Amino acid sequence: MITPIVELRNATKKYAGVPAIQNIDFALLPGEIHTLVGENGAGKSTLTKVMAGVVDLTSGQMLVEGREVNPRTPVQARELGIAMVFQETSLVPTMTVAQNLFLGQERYFNRLRGIYIAAQQFLQSLQFDVDPTATVSLLGAAKKQMVEIARAVLHKAKVIIFDEPTASLTPEEKKYFFDLVFSLKARGVSVIFISHALEEALLVSDRITVLRDGKHVVTDEKAKFDRARLIQAMVGRDLSQTLYGRRKTTMRRAGKRVLSVENLRMAAMVKNNSFSVFAGQVTGVFGLVGAGRTETFKVVAGVIKRDIMHGGEILLHERPVRYLVPAPAVRDGIAYVTEDRKVEGFFETKSIVDNIYLGLLAKLRNRRKLTSRAEAASVGEHWAKQLNIRAISNDVKAIELSGGNQQKLVIAKSLVQDPDLIIFDEPTRGVDVGAIAEIHQLINSLADSGKAVVVISSYLPEIVALSDRILVCRTGKVVEEYSALEATEEKIMYAAIH
Amino acid sequence: MIATLRNWTHRLLGRGDAAITVPMLDGALKPNQILEEAEVFAELDAPEDLATDGHSLLVADGARVLRYEGAAASEIARVDRTITGLASLPGGIAIIVDGREVRIVGGPYDGRTWTNVGGTPLSAANAIGLAADGRLLVTDGSTVWPYERWCDDLMDLGRSGRLCTLDPLSGQDREIAKGLAYAFGACAAGDSIWVCESWRHRLLQYGDSKVGYPVLGRLPGYPSRISPAAGGGFWLTVFTCRTQLVEFVLREPAYRRRMMKEIDPRYWVAPALSSGNTFLEPLQGAHLKMRGIHKPWAPPRSYGLVVRLDAEGLIRYSLHSRVDGKNHGVVAAVECRGALFVLAKGRRRILRVSIADAERSLQA
Repeated sequence: MITPIVELRNATKKYAGVPAIQNIDFALLPGEIHTLVGENGAGKSTLTKVMAGVVDLTSGQMLVEGREVNPRTPVQARELGIAMVFQETSLVPTMTVAQNLFLGQERYFNRLRGIYIAAQQFLQSLQFDVDPTATVSLLGAAKKQMVEIARAVLHKAKVIIFDEPTASLTPEEKKYFFDLVFSLKARGVSVIFISHALEEALLVSDRITVLRDGKHVVTDEKAKFDRARLIQAMVGRDLSQTLYGRRKTTMRRAGKRVLSVENLRMAAMVKNNSFSVFAGQVTGVFGLVGAGRTETFKVVAGVIKRDIMHGGEILLHERPVRYLVPAPAVRDGIAYVTEDRKVEGFFETKSIVDNIYLGLLAKLRNRRKLTSRAEAASVGEHWAKQLNIRAISNDVKAIELSGGNQQKLVIAKSLVQDPDLIIFDEPTRGVDVGAIAEIHQLINSLADSGKAVVVISSYLPEIVALSDRILVCRTGKVVEEYSALEATEEKIMYAAIH
Repeated sequence: MIATLRNWTHRLLGRGDAAITVPMLDGALKPNQILEEAEVFAELDAPEDLATDGHSLLVADGARVLRYEGAAASEIARVDRTITGLASLPGGIAIIVDGREVRIVGGPYDGRTWTNVGGTPLSAANAIGLAADGRLLVTDGSTVWPYERWCDDLMDLGRSGRLCTLDPLSGQDREIAKGLAYAFGACAAGDSIWVCESWRHRLLQYGDSKVGYPVLGRLPGYPSRISPAAGGGFWLTVFTCRTQLVEFVLREPAYRRRMMKEIDPRYWVAPALSSGNTFLEPLQGAHLKMRGIHKPWAPPRSYGLVVRLDAEGLIRYSLHSRVDGKNHGVVAAVECRGALFVLAKGRRRILRVSIADAERSLQA
């Protein structure tokens, strides 16, 4: 029997008590290309980060060539022969290719010419057409990947982990990248490949492992998978076991068109995106990482700007709008409940009351020179009660609240503005089960009261359970629309991938 | 000055009107195949308009009016020119002859005619309906171009359409609204009148004042006739959809002028009631065909669309014949005995859609 080069047994990693991966058994054989697939949040990145020494295991074992190890840093993992190439390259953009290759291996007196010659020889031995004197920031995505791979090989990596390596590559660059992967395999290097693109997984892999909700679902030879089986394995939950219940059997009728986005463009993230959002409905927006969902709605809310030239049109209540900052969008009735509440959602050292009151002040057209403590207390208490924010008192600082209550605080801060269009970006991320149910109830009641509600979520059961209408995004635009009655998790995932 | 600067900036940066964007067919307008797969009720030589008396279907076909009792047709009127609009009246019918004359045939006001409204001759009268008080509602698309040259009016950015009322009892005529960008179809909605303004892609409401308020705006196509639905609300037909290429051409006067002067109108970069008839047709900015097959999502040169509106003008659902379909150029739809009869002028067909079946399939 072949000894796996890397093996994980019963691997569990918990963040603040919440398991990201749970009791996972995984084995990587020498010289194989092994693809990890799964939805967002399935635990793929955590699993590979454990192997690369970026995070520690909470429980379980990791073995390299049959020997138990516990790499605590990426340097230790690299010494074990495991290197990871991240989605955003970890190269220093202002340095040359050669300097990046030898970064961390410098001696006291480096001769620049010496490392250029060494880098040139090394890159040529890999048949990588990259100029070692070129500054990394001037290289294209594929060449950067080459440098990352070269660095891993230079460090004598026996295992190279690629996290979404093809997300930013053009079709030609992808082809080149796959050739590189095959050449690595020919050199006896084992490769772990994370990808959302199932065709790629089926093209390059020897074996495929599917993860779901932090658990291992299946590992099998590539030949035993087809697209349908992969999708089924990725999304096939036992719905009776989840919080979200069955599919909808009724849906709310659409009211007036509140938001109309036409040919919106924002750099490479949003490409000619067009869709509408209607009053009195929950519009779910699903897409894989990099599909441009969040960016699109951040442009709508004025958090980021669309392209200066030919950036498309956004119409709110049939009136064209272009927000350079969020304040006018808030005044016009758009609320954006961020996915990153800790950074963008609230002032962590301010109290519940202050945070909610600040939300109200943001809506006011004229700046107030003086604010009323009594008004702040009454507004804050009203909304804290309305949203059932649980705390010892309303003067508790936001940072001291649990994830669910923090999320409710962010929502309260937006609802106090009485918006017409409310955009929830990952509303239940990092939120406990009880709070999820309350947040879902709130979202439904907002739609029932005639508000236009948008829910961006990477979690399919949430999208299916909440939405009256589902928009599926891929490569920067909406590519499919389903009504709640026709949508299934498989259909949505299929549209998101193909 | 500020407006000029703004327009110049918009043109430079591709913003505002110069963004040249077209609304999506999404939500209740999400495409389906109901119109394409509908039963073909009749194929005629030159159908122009539909009407109903509640029991039978009336069809204006060329210079004659047909009555359909079930599948059997009988001719009930014939004139010497093309009939461009038709309405059912108690005991008779009202017809528009060649876009220039409104005539009542049969009933207590038989023989009454109008050729002028407000002192201006009718030129492109295209739809006729009945107001709540018994007056006739007539839309005159353009006072510059005749009925059959509607595309010239679009390319000319025509703004000479009118909404008129005609009183069969007294013979009086009145101009309710003028300066419309091709008025095409009007219908009584309670005490007010709804009228389609095709080139501005909207539905306007006129009450007592001469100012129209938009009921439904930014349609993805050019609306045409509107008729009442049995369960309350309306059926609005859209004779083709907008494309970015046509919107772009409409911003380029020199190009349009030259195109109108030099090119056969059949090959203009302009909307059409049917397409795919010849390879000389413009491709409309995308490949209409791939390996001989029309892509249903390609920018449409012609399209088939009927929109079901509720009493407030909100879109409830829609029936489509997509780009790869044939039942295009829908200019009239009337509901009669549980079925919707749709005139696809591009194909010279009358389609019959079971409303219950359509609603059931849209729910599924």
